[in-house]
Amino acid sequence: MAYVATRGGERAIEQSERLFRSDMGRIDQARVAELRHALPYLVDRVMGEASLYDEDLAALALAQTGGELYEVVLLLRAWRTTQPRLSVAAPIQQKDLFTHRRISAAFKDIPGGQVLGPTLDYSHRILATDVLTGTPFVPNNVVPSARAAPAHQPSVSAWQAENELLDLPPVEPVQGNDIPDLTREPLLFPSKRAHTLQSLARAETGGVLALGYSAMRGYGQAHPTVNELRLAEAEVMVKHPRGTSFSAGRVKVSQAEVVSKKGEKLELGFAATLGWNEVKCIAAATLDLNTKGAAKGTATEEEFFLYHTEGVESSGFCIHFKLPHYVTFQSSLDAMRDAKAKKAAKCMEPAQ
Amino acid sequence: MSLKSLTKPWQPMSYGFLDASAKRELRRKMLKSVAVPGCQMPYASREVPMARGWGTGGLQVSLTLLNPQLRVKVIDQGADDSVNAASIRRFLALVSGAPVTLDTLGADLIQSRHRIPEEIMREDQILVLQVPNPEPLRSVQPNMSIARQMHADADYGRMWLQLYEQIVRSGRVMQGAGYPSLVNGRHVMTPSPIPRWDVPKLNMAKHLTILSAGREKRIFAVPPYTRVKPLVFDDVPYRVEDHGGLTCSRSTAKGFFMNEIPQVDGSSTYEVSDSSYGVKTIQKRDGDAVQFGETWYNDGEMTQ
Repeated sequence: MAYVATRGGERAIEQSERLFRSDMGRIDQARVAELRHALPYLVDRVMGEASLYDEDLAALALAQTGGELYEVVLLLRAWRTTQPRLSVAAPIQQKDLFTHRRISAAFKDIPGGQVLGPTLDYSHRILATDVLTGTPFVPNNVVPSARAAPAHQPSVSAWQAENELLDLPPVEPVQGNDIPDLTREPLLFPSKRAHTLQSLARAETGGVLALGYSAMRGYGQAHPTVNELRLAEAEVMVKHPRGTSFSAGRVKVSQAEVVSKKGEKLELGFAATLGWNEVKCIAAATLDLNTKGAAKGTATEEEFFLYHTEGVESSGFCIHFKLPHYVTFQSSLDAMRDAKAKKAAKCMEPAQ
Repeated sequence: MSLKSLTKPWQPMSYGFLDASAKRELRRKMLKSVAVPGCQMPYASREVPMARGWGTGGLQVSLTLLNPQLRVKVIDQGADDSVNAASIRRFLALVSGAPVTLDTLGADLIQSRHRIPEEIMREDQILVLQVPNPEPLRSVQPNMSIARQMHADADYGRMWLQLYEQIVRSGRVMQGAGYPSLVNGRHVMTPSPIPRWDVPKLNMAKHLTILSAGREKRIFAVPPYTRVKPLVFDDVPYRVEDHGGLTCSRSTAKGFFMNEIPQVDGSSTYEVSDSSYGVKTIQKRDGDAVQFGETWYNDGEMTQ
């Protein structure tokens, strides 16, 4: 009850927020720039979950919240939702992506080659403690390859489809403003394909991983093979009112194809998101792979995983339990006490 | 004519925070929910600068309805000065310029979490209830697509069975707050987790009640003069909390829903849950001129 102080609410709120912010101190352009520069993968992660591609805003949100990730994403989403939809960019195919990294676990080599790109996959995870005692860590120079990998590569699934190993999903004929937009309409089930992919794209990374991992461990029907994992940049092509197409810039994207044997063909699971976030894409594609025929109420059922990996909603509901609940609690107490009294009264009655 | 003369200057935030397209959707869904009382209407539910589960559904409705003339009251668990009520009230006033009040009688719009004020609301007032879980069938059917189908079929058998099982097991219906209720003889809704004490206030009420769940993206309504009947068996009458005989230790108001305050000696004292009503009672005792409205309950008994 202490936190429902008589008439004290507003002052207490203000002071508690001040207390939180005083720890972070002054926020200026330099801090935002430093965060953006130093933490590109964190910036990518929150841009993906916020479904808002703006590195400066993402870094600002990180600075403003001290890196409380759920707060970061909520801050960005609340900003995003009030912005007008000026235009819809042209759809982009995998082969059009400016590719930095593209690997396949399904084949030793793939048309276009395995391109490792930037990764920590094979690094030894050792803390550079020297930094703390005054010796800065300076990364070694990258030696460019004598033969540059092609920037544009077809998807592995396209090759598999040509060889009748897999059926590509049908191309949806809808375009532009007719593409269902999850941020402007509710998610209903059975969900539209666009809604499913959009939901996964902005799902909370940890949540997707937890449910995706449960499917990988055996609570799903399909075992994923990473057909293709790609980190790339996508050209954002928009149309000028005069009719000319132009690029408004590039955004970092990541995407994963996972496959599993189903009869004589391969089944395909897919996920993509803004920013580079490999774990999320593989886990999300695994969930997508497992949806077909998933029993209601299991982690691989679309309704189950889409609802429960929505980070803004799940984290918000979790912290709402901090709000006072004494009215509802009182209501339950009343029923409990009455039931108990009834039982006691019954025991007092003489046996027949 | 220049482009600039046709547009408004850029502002970092729209009036009432939400942009026009969000408000338009909300207005349409509100009308729809009034047209089919108690039926849950899905809506996009935009993010607002507050965490989900903290009244974002109610907030979106209030933000859509607000204008600078509308006087707003915000309650949380009956209290105007609860931290979250204070926070929402401050935000509403900040983004709309709407005046605020703590007095039920003076409010045009009341956003509330889990209570309906004790003073009877008028036809010109709107009550916006925050809803954590809009689905009364959730406890018997967690899957939302199946539950939606059950509503379409008016298939409430499992709901009745659950109530029956409670009576068999515990000798009474154990439902605490949020008692499932049949609206306009067709849709079962949750009245949001208001105590059972408050549910009869919705039946044939003069005011419009809009219930909005932001996280779950559902909106539903009880229009004025609509039947709201708690689900009860003919031979087991509906029972509100046993608070009719309790007296508020601070204001001496009697016969209203109370908050129980545990005492060190193991006993309890009570204070009236509707904080505004309690404050007015104290003011009256101190000789201030205060205006009281008619109350739904008199001497702990529902009047209608």
